[in-house]
This record gives sequence, C-alpha cells and structure tokens, in this order.
Amino acid sequence: MENLHVEIVDRSEAKLNVAAALEFVADPRFGGIANFVGRVREFNRDREVTGITYDLFEPLVLKTFREIGARTLAEVGAPLKLWIAHAQGDLGLGDPAVVVAAGTPHRDEAFRACRLTIEALKHEAPIWKQEHYADGDSAWSEGCSLCDEHREAERAAAGFHGTDHG
Amino acid sequence: MKARILLHGALREADPAGRIELDVPAGCSIGELRERLVAHVREHAPGVGEDLLRRSAFGTRETILHDHEPVPEDGELAVLPPVGGG
Repeated sequence: MENLHVEIVDRSEAKLNVAAALEFVADPRFGGIANFVGRVREFNRDREVTGITYDLFEPLVLKTFREIGARTLAEVGAPLKLWIAHAQGDLGLGDPAVVVAAGTPHRDEAFRACRLTIEALKHEAPIWKQEHYADGDSAWSEGCSLCDEHREAERAAAGFHGTDHG
Repeated sequence: MKARILLHGALREADPAGRIELDVPAGCSIGELRERLVAHVREHAPGVGEDLLRRSAFGTRETILHDHEPVPEDGELAVLPPVGGG
C-alpha cells in the first residue's frame, strides 16, 4: 500500500529519522498524528547499559512490517498513513531503535494504529537485541517465540498482557 | 540435499561463520531438521542451549515455516530464536 513506508536503517549509515516519519504521514485529510519512538535506555533490570546491537533478518522483517501495516489498516477502519522503521547494528545510549508514525482523520485511530503496530512489531518481527553492559558483559535479550505452540504457551503465561521484554 | 541455515541473535554463537550447513534427506520436514540441528549444535557448540533451539522458528526470506512443512527445495533457511525488537 502506497500509504505505508517500511525501512531498516543501518546505524553505521544514519539514525532513524523521526521528522521524515511525521512528514510522510501528514495529509490534508488527517487531523490526528501519533508517533512512537523507542530509544536505547541507560538501565535494564538494574544493569547499566552502554549500547545495544540489533540483528535483523532483513527480508522477512520488511515483509512482516508490510503485513503488520495491512493488518493495522484493516483494524483501525479509517484512512491511514503509516511509517515503520527499525535500526540495525550498533546503537548507543539514546539512539532511536524504532520509529512508528500514524496519520489518520482523528486521534483515536492514530493512537490505536500506533499501538497496534509497535506491539505487533515487538512480538512478530525477526529482530534480536544484544545488550552491552558497563561491566563489559553482553547478553541477548529473551524474547517471544515465533513457533505457534510456544507462542500460545507464552501468551497464556503472560495472561495475554504481553511478555517480559515489553 | 544441503540445508543452509542462517543464524541469528543468540544462535549466532553456534558458529562464527553465521551459518550451518547440514545434509538432510529429500523431503525432510522442518521438525526433522530441528532435531538434526539440535544434534549438530550439541556436538559442535555445547554452550548453546537446546531449549533455545526448541523455542526457535525456521523461516525463509518470505515466511515462517512450521514443523510439518518440508525444507524448501533450494535449502535456504534461517533459524529464528525468540524475537525482541523495539
């Protein structure tokens, strides 16, 4: 859909561009714009973080983003422009890791589109993060299984409210 | 046939080359491939947890493959540990 923009940006080449996302979703029909930016934060579970390495299976990530976009459009039931971008490679503190922007006629649809997209991205896109800590240690984050049987078990254990990686 | 499996996330530690090649019989299912990969990793990279492999999915550039489905004819796959973007 031409109202959907998906991209992966290698951190060695550029940072994610929030201004470009907001410009893309702007439209004379739209009075509601919602934007979510996920950034690398300083502490995770009481450990001081110095950076994150993101590993992506690019072709399937982009396909998954397009599927999420189509599903979000169907679910919000309103005209929509949507931007989904994720960073790849070595990010420092404060670097944006993910940018979602949604433009719709009204605020409710914009908020819902933004929320649906970021939650689906976190649970479905083949993206992995390795945190680097101040003590020199590194660890890959626990995540959501993409296997059906494990996914159902994880959802049940989480009471359908999400998983420990947020 | 050869199955060429790209490694991602924590499973990259199973081979510094970032991929593992396994000989599999024609018509091999993803479930069978998983068992062969578990055996391979147990022998060659014992530091990688078997549980992680059992929670991992397999996929192509286009889609996730389920255990009952066959390994694609071109043998090109990726193993996808539990995900956590954003």
